[in-house]
Amino acid sequence: MSKKLWAVSRFAHESEQELARFFSFYSVEWRYEPVCFALSWDEQGRVVKSITPDFYLPQFELFVEITTMKQRLVTKKNQKIRRMRELYPDIKIKVLYGRDYRKLLFKFGVLQ
Amino acid sequence: MSSSGEILPNDFPDAVNKVVFDEQIISNRVGELADEINQDYSGKDLAVVGVLQGAYAFTRDLVRELASPVPPDFMRISRYQKPFTGEVEIVEDLQQDITGKHVLLVEDIVDTGLSLNYLVQVLVDRNPASLEVCALLNRSELRLVEVPIKYVGFQVSDEFLIGYGLDFRGGYRDLPFVATLNPHSVDPTNLSIPTPQ
Repeated sequence: MSKKLWAVSRFAHESEQELARFFSFYSVEWRYEPVCFALSWDEQGRVVKSITPDFYLPQFELFVEITTMKQRLVTKKNQKIRRMRELYPDIKIKVLYGRDYRKLLFKFGVLQ
Repeated sequence: MSSSGEILPNDFPDAVNKVVFDEQIISNRVGELADEINQDYSGKDLAVVGVLQGAYAFTRDLVRELASPVPPDFMRISRYQKPFTGEVEIVEDLQQDITGKHVLLVEDIVDTGLSLNYLVQVLVDRNPASLEVCALLNRSELRLVEVPIKYVGFQVSDEFLIGYGLDFRGGYRDLPFVATLNPHSVDPTNLSIPTPQ
């Protein structure tokens, strides 16, 4: 179970830690970056592009990716997500963008 | 007062921007939901559970419209707050044993699904005969976890809403209508988040 994992896990970004706190608070089990999905390969079959969604929620069999970065990088991320959905259509993934994240913070009272 | 879209006159609270659902529309929809519930629960031992504080008004009005009015019961869970203190807790619990009963959990609004999911898990563990969810408002744009909602009053966009149980900083719950929050009543300087370089 991941009750205190938010405190000890090494997150790449503060937003990921905050999201982990939300999940933990509401007793939603989560895993941080547990799976890397290959997205493209070179001629030798080596993976040249991949994506590692930020969270996996086992209860819901759902991956969650949070991206609060600049629009140029969001576009690249969106391309990866689109490719992931093409290659792995049975995998559910939810993307949270910066505006979604701000609304979450506002909703939970983190932003006043 | 009209229904959607009209800017309110100056005598309304500053935080209110425009009315989305007025009293009449809410009342009509509550009646329609009650009709559905009456059909589905005819002859069944129904327990209506409202989630405080937001769903108090909705639960009260809904129960009044049921064919066999049942006294509503209520639950309240703690809110996420900084500094982060651990896990959600039941602050106010039911007065009745719901074992073997057909439970209708009534929410004001479902957005992330996190608190609803928690409540559903808590209630399922108490072995009701069935458990369904009735939400006045469903805002699926912020949904993080999916929880089935059988009865939905209105689908809403991602605007922040107040009134008819919905609060902003603890206020405006008592407004008889649902309205959008005036963005100018929020300090915009606090709406920034760190951006990776």
